[in-house]
Amino acid sequence: MARIYGYAGSLLRIDLTNQAYETERITEAEMRGYLGGRGFNAKRLYDEVDAGVDPLSPGNKLIFGTGPLVGTMFPTASRFNVSAKSPHTGILGDSNAGGHFAPEMKFAGYDQIILEGLSASPIYVYVEDNHVDFRDASSIKGSTVFEADGFIKGELGDRRVQTVICGPAAEKGVKYGGLFANQVRVASRTGMGTVMASKNVKALALRGTGLVEVAEPDGFERMTLKLEKEIRAHEQYPGRMRMGTTRILMMANEAGFLPTRNYTSGVYEDAHMVSGERLAEEYNVKNRGCFACTIPCSRVYSIKEGPNKGLHGEGPEYEALGSFTSRIGNNDLELALKAIDLCNQLGLDVLTVAGCVGWAMELYEAGELTAEETGGLELTWGNMEALQELIRLIAEREGFGDVLADGSVEAAKRLGRGMDRTIQVKGMDLIMADPRGLKGFGLGYAVASRGGDHLRSEPFLELSDDPEIGERMFGVPESTLRLADRGKGRLVSYFEDWNAVIDSLEPCKNIMQNMMLLPFERAAEALELTTGLRVTPEEMREAGERIITLERMYGVREGVSRADDRLPSRFMESPLREGASSGTVVDMDLMLDEYYAERGWDPETGHPTPETLLRLGLGSAVKDLP
Amino acid sequence: MKRVTVEAERCAGCRQCEMVCSFHHTKTFSPESSRVTVIKDDRLGLDYPLMCRQCSDCPPMDACPAQAITREEGIIMVDWQACIGCGVCVEECRYGAVKLHDDKALVCDLCGGEPQCVARCPTGALSYTESPEFTETPWEAFDRLKEEWGMHG
Repeated sequence: MARIYGYAGSLLRIDLTNQAYETERITEAEMRGYLGGRGFNAKRLYDEVDAGVDPLSPGNKLIFGTGPLVGTMFPTASRFNVSAKSPHTGILGDSNAGGHFAPEMKFAGYDQIILEGLSASPIYVYVEDNHVDFRDASSIKGSTVFEADGFIKGELGDRRVQTVICGPAAEKGVKYGGLFANQVRVASRTGMGTVMASKNVKALALRGTGLVEVAEPDGFERMTLKLEKEIRAHEQYPGRMRMGTTRILMMANEAGFLPTRNYTSGVYEDAHMVSGERLAEEYNVKNRGCFACTIPCSRVYSIKEGPNKGLHGEGPEYEALGSFTSRIGNNDLELALKAIDLCNQLGLDVLTVAGCVGWAMELYEAGELTAEETGGLELTWGNMEALQELIRLIAEREGFGDVLADGSVEAAKRLGRGMDRTIQVKGMDLIMADPRGLKGFGLGYAVASRGGDHLRSEPFLELSDDPEIGERMFGVPESTLRLADRGKGRLVSYFEDWNAVIDSLEPCKNIMQNMMLLPFERAAEALELTTGLRVTPEEMREAGERIITLERMYGVREGVSRADDRLPSRFMESPLREGASSGTVVDMDLMLDEYYAERGWDPETGHPTPETLLRLGLGSAVKDLP
Repeated sequence: MKRVTVEAERCAGCRQCEMVCSFHHTKTFSPESSRVTVIKDDRLGLDYPLMCRQCSDCPPMDACPAQAITREEGIIMVDWQACIGCGVCVEECRYGAVKLHDDKALVCDLCGGEPQCVARCPTGALSYTESPEFTETPWEAFDRLKEEWGMHG
């Protein structure tokens, strides 16, 4: 067999219960079939964490995976996925982050690292090339992400160690604790930090001194040079360099889909006060990037005067910025930064915090939640003092914070009211774009394998509002009109397949997908130059489809069906009243019918058909169909 | 003389310089075999690429017990045949620009006059120009930026 480059070719399996570890080979069939990162993780999770496993029990596994392009000079190839059964949603848990952790996995010699079992005492795990050390972490139990990172690097005496850390909120059992790389590069969704904490593990630290080789160095170098040039020449380059994703906030407001006051409006009257533009002008001091990035879009901010003087940090990106401004009706930018910083220290997913708090504020303003029930907190729109306190209470699981610590669905159950005001799909609180102004995004949220989320599909082409693109690419002119419902099944399945490929090769989706730099053809070329594996663009897309379908089957095995692929009722029943997305609602059934037909899934149940599973080489999953 | 200079305020810490350096010299990718090493402070968001500045006085050269560090056509070079891997040079360089890899000292060789890290740096933090010697250490640069940007702890 010809040598395969790019991949490390190994996974490291760490048994926390017995403090043992072993490596396993990753096969060529797995590489061709699942590509890397997210795909590898989906396969492993499906095979090893069965239906009915309690996400917080030793039977759950926490799986880190990265891709073949990572650990090279391929622009933006810096990312990893971390997957497990989610304690937040009970279905597939999976989250992706950048920074410098993923390349360190490759230099240490692994495409995947699996943490399984349960440690008897608080530890952090230190992997140094082929050696694993189970180290006492009792002194950092309950410490913040920043403190723990400092402690670990100090104790190991090596500042080039890379870490992923869970915060004190996860240790207290908050269901949506994230995992933090480089302190602020967060795999924040679906509670992966909570899974790590449940295993009595505070952090995974890595140091790798090995190397990554590519199959065709000269061709590979030419490709990376070409990509770097294209990135710099791209029309989005200046805006991304200046503002990162926070550039979206004003655009979303102008288009009328900026979630405002828990999605009761798509227009925020004070958007200009909390915009990416204002952040860049008044607070940013420098850019920062993930590993091997050509367009380092993260920004360091510092507040140099006034009551919040001394606050500094990295980011935020759009989702966090919007979460603590328009979504909860807050126009004080500095207080939003402060709340985001607090969530980062405590290890919380900002989007879910904002989902829960926005929900509670809506109830409070409607008179359906009293100050007595909140422990005296006045949850009026934009009350940042209350937010700050509530974040602490959530992280401690105290008082009303305890009610919110399992997510908005569980909170509504506990209160016995307000379920109709939760903004979530399959238990996961939605992101910062109102689907009434972006119908394809709405379909994407409804069917996403990890619950309400845009990153599985992110069909940004509908923002073009150009029917010619839709006609050309999908054979349906409306597919690329953002307010139209037709054609979205085809649009979304295309983008889902594409994102599954990107998330598995593990460059940055913002750049390689949003800037249209790594379509299937080029992804196939990149894989071949890197690894030597020849796949056609069609096979590349099929690998994406296989990953999507297997992730769907993970949900199906846990009971997911068409009935769960639903947006919150307000998006289907109540049009927005103002702004450029007003007057329409989402036609969920039309879009779902199209989508299932596109996927080869049963239109009644939303389950993949046996024929579809067999076509994708997933025959062994047929037995898991209900 | 021409040297690589660093603007710490512009370094985004992406470490593409490390990858490009490693690739240029070995056709493989490994931070260990890169002659430039980026140090980072994630709490403050500060980054600095450590690399040879072609100082007129070079303590590692003076201290090398094997006389393996020399200046050829004005450029500081390591003779790997002579290098005994003792690491004295690593201790002596006040800018942290020398490291050991496979028991040999690694120092920037300016890629024969076209430093690839400079060519590929995404933010222009590195320049290769005629410039006077600069003596600010990376740690001094961090302190300066902390002061300038009002960041403490």
